[in-house]
Amino acid sequence: MNTTATTNDTDLLRAMRGASSANPADAFSALYRRHQGPLYRFALLRCGSDATAADVVQEAFMGLLTERFRFDPLRGPLQAFLFGVARNLILKLEEGRQRHVALPAIEAAQDGDDDAELDLPLDDGGPLARVLDNEAAEQVRRALAHLAPHYRDVVILYEMHELSYAEIADICQVDIGTVRSRLSRGRAALAKRLAGWRTAPDLAQA
Amino acid sequence: MDNREPLDPLFDALRGEMAKLDAPRGVEKELLQAFARQFPQKKRWYRSLALKRWALAGGLSTAVTALTVFSLVLHNPRLIADPDAGSRALVSRDGGGGLFIALESPERIESEPAPRVVETEVSRSSLAPLGIPLTPENAGDTVKAEMLLGADGQPLAVRLTSIN
Repeated sequence: MNTTATTNDTDLLRAMRGASSANPADAFSALYRRHQGPLYRFALLRCGSDATAADVVQEAFMGLLTERFRFDPLRGPLQAFLFGVARNLILKLEEGRQRHVALPAIEAAQDGDDDAELDLPLDDGGPLARVLDNEAAEQVRRALAHLAPHYRDVVILYEMHELSYAEIADICQVDIGTVRSRLSRGRAALAKRLAGWRTAPDLAQA
Repeated sequence: MDNREPLDPLFDALRGEMAKLDAPRGVEKELLQAFARQFPQKKRWYRSLALKRWALAGGLSTAVTALTVFSLVLHNPRLIADPDAGSRALVSRDGGGGLFIALESPERIESEPAPRVVETEVSRSSLAPLGIPLTPENAGDTVKAEMLLGADGQPLAVRLTSIN
């Protein structure tokens, strides 16, 4: 089988398992190259560390490879599935860290959909370390890093990956109404944090 | 007037910057190595043979081919036509074995690269044009013969082995 850009994900997955391809590694590689970018960018914005984001991408694809994470094409596209896997991996990492550092702010954020902002560095370099060259982009990224994780998920998936409410609801395992309210509150918190920064015309020159 | 929300241009800037970022190349390398471990390529049977075994098999194959060609040359000798044998030419195998009555032209028979001989029975009446005596009593009889056939199965010559 030809592992071109036109081959759909399901066929690539089938080819990867040797069902219809002379070289399953090519199918796996094509699948990885198609999805690694969005997945890495989601993980990077979500956890703020490029090393952790790379680990998350690697573990997500490793799970796909070993079938630790089973993808069912009937339940939606592979990309949404991978976002869900990445999110769960990040949540698991965060839980591990919270066992060691129980901050009151974290506990408050876990209680519900309060518009609590949260600074949750995953590692020393964390969300506050500079990642982007563009000043405006870096400011937004930092503001995102200060959002509570459940707001951050929704805002990143909606604003950066242009997923629908339904897809986000599926990834975050909440209902659509919750997605709407989290998005609204997340955007409000971001606007508040970025209010004193630049106005839109200034950004064109940034 | 631009009625986009104030955050939109900020997200545009972030999208533009983030689009440049991909997972480190080492991740793909690690994954492909894991893939190779997870799905090892099945070795074809011929890849498991050592070079010496291949050499031995090749040598034996060459020897068998040479023997086959040699034996075919011995048992299927070239035909020689005898153009002086009258209206119907006689042909003989250059390894001996007697004369055949030509059914085709000498040139056609000589040009045949691999003629073969088959034993058969032919009706006496069909041999009358070759001069075989025919009576009403024996017209339905058969005669044992050896037919010389071309590679395409075409009869080239015939030799009668028993005439009662």
